[in-house]
Amino acid sequence: MKVKISKSMIVFQCIAYVLLALGAVVCVAPFLIILSGSLTDDAIIIKEGYSILPRGFTLAAYETIFKVPGEILQAYKMTIFYTVVGTVLGLLMITLTAYVISRKEFKYRNQVSFLIYFTTLFGGGMIPWYLMYANVLNLKGSTFPIWFPGLMSPFLIILMRTFISESVPDAITESAKLDGAGHVTIFFRIILPVLGPGLATVGLFLALGYWNDWYRSSMFSVSQDTWELQFYLYNLLNASSSMKQMAQSANIAMTDIPTQSMKLAMAVVVTGPVLLFYPFVQRYFVSGITVGAVKG
Amino acid sequence: MKKKLLSLLLATAMTASLAGCGGGGKSAADAMDEAQESAASGQEGQADQTQQESQAKTEPAGEGNGEAKELDTSERVDLVVYQLGDAPADEAKVEEKINEILLEKLNVTVDFQFTTWVDWQQKYSLQLTTGGVDLVYTANWSEYGKLASSGAFLPLDDLLNTVSPEMRKTLGEDALNQCRVNGELYTIPCNYLEYTCNGILYREDLREKYDLPAPNTVENIEAYLTGIKENEPEQQLLDVSGQENMGQVFNFKYPWVTFTGIPYGLSINYDTPTEVEDYWFSDDFTDDMKTMKKWADMGFWSRSALSNTPQEEALENGLAVMYFSGYNPAKAVGVKAKLEETHPDWKVEYIAFGETNGVIFPANRQTNGTAISKDCKDPERAMKVIELLLMDEELNHLAMGGIEGEHYELDENGIYQNLSDKFPYGGFNTWNLYNKDYWLSTETSAELNEMFAKYEELGAKTKFPNTDIFGGFTEDTSAYATEYSAVQNVCDQYLKPLQIGTVDDVDAAVAQFREKLKEAGIEACREGFKEQWLAYCEQYGYK
Amino acid sequence: MEERLERKIWGRKTGVVMTAAVSAIAFILSLPFVSWVKVVNISSLFPKIGISREAAADLYQGYSIFNLLDFVQKGGQGKIGLYAMILLMLLIAAWYFNLAYLWKAVRNKKRKDGDLGLYAAGRLAMLSVLLLAGASVGFVAFSNSRFGMKGFSASPVIYLLSVLCIMAYAVIKRMEKKERELYHEHGLLKEIRKNWVLFLMLVPTFVYFMINSYLPMVGIYYAFTNFNFRDGLWASPFVGMKNFEFLLKGDLFRLTRNTVLYNVAFILLGNVLQIIFAILVSQVSKKWFQKTSQTLMFMPYFVSFVLLKVLVYNLFEYDYGLVNNIVTSLGGDKIDFYNTPAYWPFLIVLFNLWKGIGYGMVVYLASIMGIDGELYEAAKVDGANVFHQIRYITLPLLKPTFIILLLYSLGGIMKGQFELFYQMVGNNGVLYNVTDIIDTYVYRITMTQPLSIGLGTAAGLYQSVFGFVIVVVTNWLIKRKNPQYALF
Repeated sequence: MKVKISKSMIVFQCIAYVLLALGAVVCVAPFLIILSGSLTDDAIIIKEGYSILPRGFTLAAYETIFKVPGEILQAYKMTIFYTVVGTVLGLLMITLTAYVISRKEFKYRNQVSFLIYFTTLFGGGMIPWYLMYANVLNLKGSTFPIWFPGLMSPFLIILMRTFISESVPDAITESAKLDGAGHVTIFFRIILPVLGPGLATVGLFLALGYWNDWYRSSMFSVSQDTWELQFYLYNLLNASSSMKQMAQSANIAMTDIPTQSMKLAMAVVVTGPVLLFYPFVQRYFVSGITVGAVKG
Repeated sequence: MKKKLLSLLLATAMTASLAGCGGGGKSAADAMDEAQESAASGQEGQADQTQQESQAKTEPAGEGNGEAKELDTSERVDLVVYQLGDAPADEAKVEEKINEILLEKLNVTVDFQFTTWVDWQQKYSLQLTTGGVDLVYTANWSEYGKLASSGAFLPLDDLLNTVSPEMRKTLGEDALNQCRVNGELYTIPCNYLEYTCNGILYREDLREKYDLPAPNTVENIEAYLTGIKENEPEQQLLDVSGQENMGQVFNFKYPWVTFTGIPYGLSINYDTPTEVEDYWFSDDFTDDMKTMKKWADMGFWSRSALSNTPQEEALENGLAVMYFSGYNPAKAVGVKAKLEETHPDWKVEYIAFGETNGVIFPANRQTNGTAISKDCKDPERAMKVIELLLMDEELNHLAMGGIEGEHYELDENGIYQNLSDKFPYGGFNTWNLYNKDYWLSTETSAELNEMFAKYEELGAKTKFPNTDIFGGFTEDTSAYATEYSAVQNVCDQYLKPLQIGTVDDVDAAVAQFREKLKEAGIEACREGFKEQWLAYCEQYGYK
Repeated sequence: MEERLERKIWGRKTGVVMTAAVSAIAFILSLPFVSWVKVVNISSLFPKIGISREAAADLYQGYSIFNLLDFVQKGGQGKIGLYAMILLMLLIAAWYFNLAYLWKAVRNKKRKDGDLGLYAAGRLAMLSVLLLAGASVGFVAFSNSRFGMKGFSASPVIYLLSVLCIMAYAVIKRMEKKERELYHEHGLLKEIRKNWVLFLMLVPTFVYFMINSYLPMVGIYYAFTNFNFRDGLWASPFVGMKNFEFLLKGDLFRLTRNTVLYNVAFILLGNVLQIIFAILVSQVSKKWFQKTSQTLMFMPYFVSFVLLKVLVYNLFEYDYGLVNNIVTSLGGDKIDFYNTPAYWPFLIVLFNLWKGIGYGMVVYLASIMGIDGELYEAAKVDGANVFHQIRYITLPLLKPTFIILLLYSLGGIMKGQFELFYQMVGNNGVLYNVTDIIDTYVYRITMTQPLSIGLGTAAGLYQSVFGFVIVVVTNWLIKRKNPQYALF
């Protein structure tokens, strides 16, 4: 059956297409510049600045990054490990917590929510946090302090709680309880299946947080084996500029690092894999509802 | 019933308060006085005793008895050595070799740990604060003075005397004295004297081409840059950013005691260190800032320079013809070597500020040192490790070059040739282990040593021959910390635009700058600094 | 006994009146003029811990918990400073609970669960005082061990209060038990037994937050110390509010104004834009266009600020920048962006929006996905066009998400996106008046001083307290109108 499209719909669609196209262009243009810059000869960038198309096509920046392939592959490996472990564990913990504090029969849910949120307001700063992992738990150099701190964030917990209370009306859980279902059953049989968008969103944020993190490697790593990808690249970049700014004597082994294009290549190297798996996650929150989406 | 309860409550309250109250108001000093009066008679005898004890304890520091003490090496100790920068790829291999030797000699192993190049200042402080490192690299540009006076490192005089008197003799009292903070020695300097004076690096080939004067004075710099601009208008002259200290160029004009700028806009000449004048509130300053504005208007650098990040190799890439902040002879030599490969037709020359204003001196010995952190597991053995790494030829070469034959070799002239980039020269970033007796000379070091010889000659003619008198001074800003921060902020906000010449009206901007300085409390800073500086000069005899 | 307690005087139960009286006593006894800790053996103590005769003139022989920190500061006894501060915190908590209990007892408002709320408040009050008393005794022992001799002694007030509180607690417990039977309510232990699954689910979370957030919170103490290496982290001299002075010197008002205004712009404009675009994306008919445009709009998230700064500099630079090239080719004058503060508020807001739009959009998209499609069908049947549908269905259903996100962001209103400001502006002093936020100012100051743990923590504390007050007030207001929108 052909659905008659109303005039207002046409107007709306036009506006939508135009605005979205504009937005997309504005957002992607700088990225294209980055991509082209990463393939441009460093000297040309320094002289002439950036542009959309590469000039003096060269892969020098990527060569430098991948010069010691063993190292960067290790960094990739570790980052994938952290991301997978962290996202799965974190997602489980966050969803469980959100479930508990969304239950009306849980007497202390307001207090618990407050205590969770309180941690975003107050904090002791970097040093006691570092001391906790390095001295108290004595875990400096292991991978634990790299993936553990990223497991939960109050923002995601509260977000998930909102998703849960929106997707599952009380009536359903009430009737399930009358049928004798315990919390675990309710959680796995009723809540989880309809939590698709919520899981995808929170999972995406968690994964991105892990993928882009470099700070925890910087603080807690003792050997290069545990470095995250972003940190590896960041360090590579800082090496030459730091050495040049330090007032010390002849340091002969200054290799020729194409710093400008390298910065850009770094961005591409880090983003690449994400763009590959992003479409899989995307289908959970992009879908046309005008074309009669049936809520499952 | 009601009344009874009420009165009961009141009574309880009052008694309770009486039990506790009353003590709050009396001063503790009274109690002290009372006690002292009664004990006064008994104390006189004690006083004599304590005096005798203290006399017995004070021995002249700095005199060892020449014999190194035998250390107890029955238990193995694992020390952590904290260095700046990145670990070389073959860290584990070379460390193993070093530890073989150290285990045999001292039953000790060392583990080199690094700050990496990301947030290194923060991590450096962090490791010192939270403990966990034993031997630390120190440098005066890495806050050695402040950290030492705050107690981050152990005092080393006694340790040197008992454990390593040989090292003391080799380094010499002069070098050690330069590393003292408030009279105490906290770091062992490396055994190498180098000149890290600042100066100007410029394109000599362009100068010759257009027959321009060598930029060795402020006027000549202007002539040089104008000349190039006229002849090659497309050529960018200087790559300037907000991070640099543009005021350095005025070292050609003033024979100041240090190149990097005297704090709080004071002016102290090298020859007359006890005369502390004013610079920022003087007319000289306004004139100098007008020069800067003139240069900015003439297009020597970009108007948006303040927000620019410095281009690391601007001159080498043709984006600049001159560097005039932060270039020392070693860096200059490095640039020359690089240009030979990339642009052999370009020539660069280096002029140290000292060649014009007559003030030149080698780097203060605090520039590269090794300290022992206050949380060290075994200070005596740590000291011995420093001695071995610095003075034992085999260990020194291992730390500096790696394994001979695998990472480097010496060719027929005895020049170091790198064999593998898994361990480059100075792989562990151990600039604190430079030892002129075991120096692995490289191709560029010959040229560098020539320059050093030239400067040494010049330096011998200065008032305090070859001594960096400002480098050894540590300022304790805690008494005026708030004003200090405020003044720094004012400089960031008002001085930098003046120095980069992006202000419209120099006189008005200078007036505003001075106004803000006064508000921030610069007088307090100046007073505090002057007091400490004069005391320092007094102590070391710089008159 | 129980009947006596239940009998009413002054319109309230006797038991309540008695325990309220104990609360009042506890409050009075903890006021500054009552000394909880006495300093003894002064003549031998002071020389031992390094207090001179001149310094002793500023010190007293007895201290309440209030001015204990004064002793720490003036006497230079940094090593007991942290414990003294903890005592102060406990005191403030005890005051809060006791005053709350007194207030409730005085107002005597009947709630739907009878007096149970009152009893709960009462128990908390008594427990808090007991905790305080216990901690004080512990403090005396701790200090004496630090001094190496008996320097402090606990005043009898502490013991008296402890006894009173234990008695009051027993009284309340008795009454509460009876009340509970009336209302079929349970205490904590029964709750756990009933809902043990839920509590179990919270265990990992509890462990996480303890390790990562609550235990390190002790570090707030540094905001009040002047760190030096010799004394280390836990024994550095206590300096009270001195670290906050440097904030004031930096023109705190201007910094606060900048930080708050930028955050307001970011939050409001950001969320509004994200909602608009999320709606647009969800309504577009061609699926491939939906997916592509959404993916593309997500890209800015991956451009780090370091990179962005480089690109922006190339755009806005005075001589060679792209924008100025366009302007001059159109016949205008070159604009000096980097030296004109006026442009920057807009530019910075623009950059922040650009970077965050794709990321924030995802949350709203997910929410829209969760809206029942049948609602739209029904609306269409009733003749509503697209705009009506959005206005009456989509927006109201997005409201909870929007409010929660808004409320959440309010807590961080004093904290800024440090990277954004630091990279975009760099060291450009000309722009500081309009672009300086608290974080960048603190960063500049603390970079020059390696011993500045106190300064950084003090600034952080200021931001936290400010944000805390705002969030608590707003949350309370929202709760009265619409409890489901509240954060906690």
